[in-house]
Amino acid sequence: MATGNAIDPIHQFIVAPLAQIRIGGIDASFTNASLFMVIVLLAATFLMIIGTAQKSIVPGRLQSAAEMAYEFVASTVRGTTGTEGMKFFPLVFSLFMFVLLSNLIGLIPYTFTVTSQIVVTFALAALVILTVIIYGLINHGTHFLHLFVPSGVAPALLPFIVLIEVISFVSRPISLSVRLFANMLAGHITLKVFGAFVALLLSAGGWAAISPLPLVGIVALTAFELLVAFLQAYVFAILTCVYLNDALHPGH
Amino acid sequence: MSDKPNPQDDPSEEAMKARLAALTVALEKQKDPKPDQEALEATQRTGRAMSLGFRVLSEFVAGIIVGAVMGWQFDEWLGTKPVLLIVMTAFGTIAGFWNVYRLAAAPTGPQARDDKRSNP
Repeated sequence: MATGNAIDPIHQFIVAPLAQIRIGGIDASFTNASLFMVIVLLAATFLMIIGTAQKSIVPGRLQSAAEMAYEFVASTVRGTTGTEGMKFFPLVFSLFMFVLLSNLIGLIPYTFTVTSQIVVTFALAALVILTVIIYGLINHGTHFLHLFVPSGVAPALLPFIVLIEVISFVSRPISLSVRLFANMLAGHITLKVFGAFVALLLSAGGWAAISPLPLVGIVALTAFELLVAFLQAYVFAILTCVYLNDALHPGH
Repeated sequence: MSDKPNPQDDPSEEAMKARLAALTVALEKQKDPKPDQEALEATQRTGRAMSLGFRVLSEFVAGIIVGAVMGWQFDEWLGTKPVLLIVMTAFGTIAGFWNVYRLAAAPTGPQARDDKRSNP
C-alpha cells in the first residue's frame, strides 16, 4: 500500500537484490524477481508432481487441477496446430503454466509479479519466436521464407508486401510481450491506486464516509484481474500455437 | 382453438399434453444447473471478446512501433535522417492494419478445420 499519504503505485515493481552475486563483472544478484520465479517454478512442479501422484479414477482437488491444465493446453495445441503440433506441447504447457502461475501469485498482496517485467515477458516471447524461426528453417529450409512471400501477388507489389510481412513478423514478439507486460502492469497499478484512495479518504475527515466506494472497487477489480490473469496466460499459449503453426506449415 | 387454452375448461388430451410439457420444462429449470451454465458461457464469451480486443490493440500498436523503430535504425545506418523513419512508419501502420485484418478474417489452416469441428 501507499506509504503515508503519497500514492506510489510503481514501488511494487522495483527489482531489489536479495543477495549480491557478481560473476565476472556481470550483476547476477538473486533478486525478488528471481525469488518469485523460483516460487512459480516450485508451485508448477508441485502441482504437476503431487497432482499426478495419486492417479485415482475419481480425482481429488489437486489431481483435477493438474488434469484440467493438461487437457486445456492439449486441446488448445491440437485445435490450433493439429496433432503434429503436439511435439511442441511441452514448450506451450511450460509457458502457459509459468505465465498463469506468475499472474495468479502476483495477485496475492505483498508478492512480486514476475510477468509485470518486460524483460521477462520479452524473454518468453523471444524464446517462442526463435523456436519458430529455428524449427522452420531446419525443417523447411528456404521454403520457410515463403511465409513472407504470399502466393498470387502482382510482381510490382511484391517488395511492399514482403516488407509489410517482415514488419508484421517482427511485430509478433513485440505484441506478445507488450500485451502481457502492459496488462499486468496496468492492473496492478490500478489496484494500488484504488488502495491509496481508501487510505487518502480515511485521513480526509468527513470524506472518510465515501471511503468504502474505492474499497468495493478493489474487490471488483481483483475479480477482474483474476480473469485477466487467466486470459493473458491463455492468449500467450494460443498465440504461441498460432506462431508455431507457421513453422509447421509455412507458405499457407 | 385459442392460443392459450385454459386447462380447467378444456380437459382434452392436447391441453393435458401442453400442461405436462410446461411442467417438464419447469422441472428441468429447477433441476438443471442451467443458470450456472449460462453464467459460465457468458464469462467465456466475455473472456473471448476481451482476449480478441487485447490482441487487436497490441498487434496494431506493435506494427506501428516496429515500423518506426526499424526506420529510425535504418536512418542511423544509412544517414538518410528523416526519410526512412517516415516511410517505415507508414509501412508499419499498414502492417498493423494487416495484422488486424488477418485476425478478423476467417482463420486459415488447421485452425479453421478444427474450429468448424468443435463449434458447428
